[in-house]
Amino acid sequence: MKEIKDLNLPDEIRYSKDHEWAKVDGDIVRVGISDYAQDALGDIVFVELPEVGAVFKAGEEFGTLESVKAVSELYLPVGGEIVAVNMELEDSPELINDNPYTGWIIEVKPGDIGEFDQLLDRHAYLELLKAE
Amino acid sequence: MNDSVNLKKTVLHAYHVSRNANMASFGGYSMPLWYETGAKAEHLAVITAAGLFDTSHMAVITISGEGAFDLLQHSFTRDLNSCVGSSQAPLSKGRCVYGLFLETDGTVIDDAIVTELGAGRYMVVVNSGMGPVVSDHLRKLATAGVSITDHSDMIGKIDLQGPRSALIIEQVLDRPDAVLDGLSYFTCRGDIFGERGSDVTLGGSIPVLLSRSGYTGEFGFELFTALADTENVWRLILEAGEPFGITVCGLASRDSLRTGAMLPLSHQDIGNWKFGQTPWSFVLPKNGRGATFTKQFVGADSLLGEPDSYTYGFAGYDPRKIPVTESSRVVDADGSEIGIILTCTTDMAIDRVGDDRQRIVSVATPAAEGRPGDFRPRGLCCGFIKTNTPCRIGDKIKLVEGRRTLNVEIREDIRPNRTARCSMQRMRSKSEERETRA
Repeated sequence: MKEIKDLNLPDEIRYSKDHEWAKVDGDIVRVGISDYAQDALGDIVFVELPEVGAVFKAGEEFGTLESVKAVSELYLPVGGEIVAVNMELEDSPELINDNPYTGWIIEVKPGDIGEFDQLLDRHAYLELLKAE
Repeated sequence: MNDSVNLKKTVLHAYHVSRNANMASFGGYSMPLWYETGAKAEHLAVITAAGLFDTSHMAVITISGEGAFDLLQHSFTRDLNSCVGSSQAPLSKGRCVYGLFLETDGTVIDDAIVTELGAGRYMVVVNSGMGPVVSDHLRKLATAGVSITDHSDMIGKIDLQGPRSALIIEQVLDRPDAVLDGLSYFTCRGDIFGERGSDVTLGGSIPVLLSRSGYTGEFGFELFTALADTENVWRLILEAGEPFGITVCGLASRDSLRTGAMLPLSHQDIGNWKFGQTPWSFVLPKNGRGATFTKQFVGADSLLGEPDSYTYGFAGYDPRKIPVTESSRVVDADGSEIGIILTCTTDMAIDRVGDDRQRIVSVATPAAEGRPGDFRPRGLCCGFIKTNTPCRIGDKIKLVEGRRTLNVEIREDIRPNRTARCSMQRMRSKSEERETRA
């Protein structure tokens, strides 16, 4: 396991309590899992992605990650319509382990961008990890 | 993820932590699940090169004395008079045999490998934390004059597994030819319990008991050492193995490798329920067609007649798993619930090929036997189920948990082209090829 100090947690993105990250890019929000999550899960061997056009509320399950350890649900940090999924993950799920921030999972068009502002910044996320 | 204070540590614990292993509780021990290489690379290394596992959490018991043979005949499911090879020869010095210890009602206390060390002396390897349980059970059955010693936490155990294991072990053994020649599957050499010390040493003078066995389905060795020698043996093998691509492996790859090799995990695939019809029913000393047993033993009377459960291996069609929970279940083609899931994991070295995606091949399958040139396995879900009704090999069933349903196939075998039984000669001659090429 990585030590907390060794985790790659970029400043310019936000984090959820479920260890997803969210990044605003124009009028869409790109979503993946944090370095902490990929390190804890171990090798990811399969990603179950949602359909483009599907609509989820914030906190709803939108897919699953299959790691060597477990089947883990993915929860949407910001509610809205799925506008893109990272198709590269179908053949190369290890892209998430290689770099969980370039290895994004979905893009969502948020219904309420205010939900993004309620997510944790790097400092608050680090505090959450230290408490776990 | 913090280690609980109650967890035991193996003698190699400091090594695991220094390598940033992902540690978890297993069988009462803090054990590595995987290292920074990741479980997938570790799994593949054991199939294509070699992997090194700390298995010092396993418990070792020795039994000796006049009644030792009779005690094992009475308590162990294998008939020691007829358990070796297709000729059903008796167990003899340096031979190992796999079987079970049962309760009178036919439920499984634990599985074990019994090795004959010498006349009236046996080594019994059982699972993590089971040393006290199995030795207490044996003491209750033992007659006077039998000595039973639980060596839990007093012995180090290291597994070197994979097709290059012989090439690596011969680098560190002091007399490799004398030790390895004729060392066939399920035989061992050396003795770390005898008073005169081991006749097998490595690194100059370190005594080891070297057994050609393992829990991955691949060619390799289990090494037993004195606790004080374990770190040295570990380091020597790692150094010698580096040019051969040795990879340190954790319990996650051990679990996925053993599942693909159709090997059961005690207390998960066999356990405190009556031993039924299983892929491991060869452990029962059946007489002829199996209506009677060749010997009387604890649990025998409960196991004659029709089984009340059926255990099968299965493989899916992609890497997706089903979480094994209280609500997960097995459903047949008609939608009837027929049983429960025991193990569900992903063998990352295999995939289905062909237009109909029926045939399973491994990274170790030769191209001539059907491995496509561009084979890049995604891995297949596989494991064991227990049903209340007999199934047939090839039956298509469903595994269900919550909203997830997986279609899987009942299989007689899972990962093809395994190397566990390959001859020593063949596995050592690969080094000559390599040297000639170099």
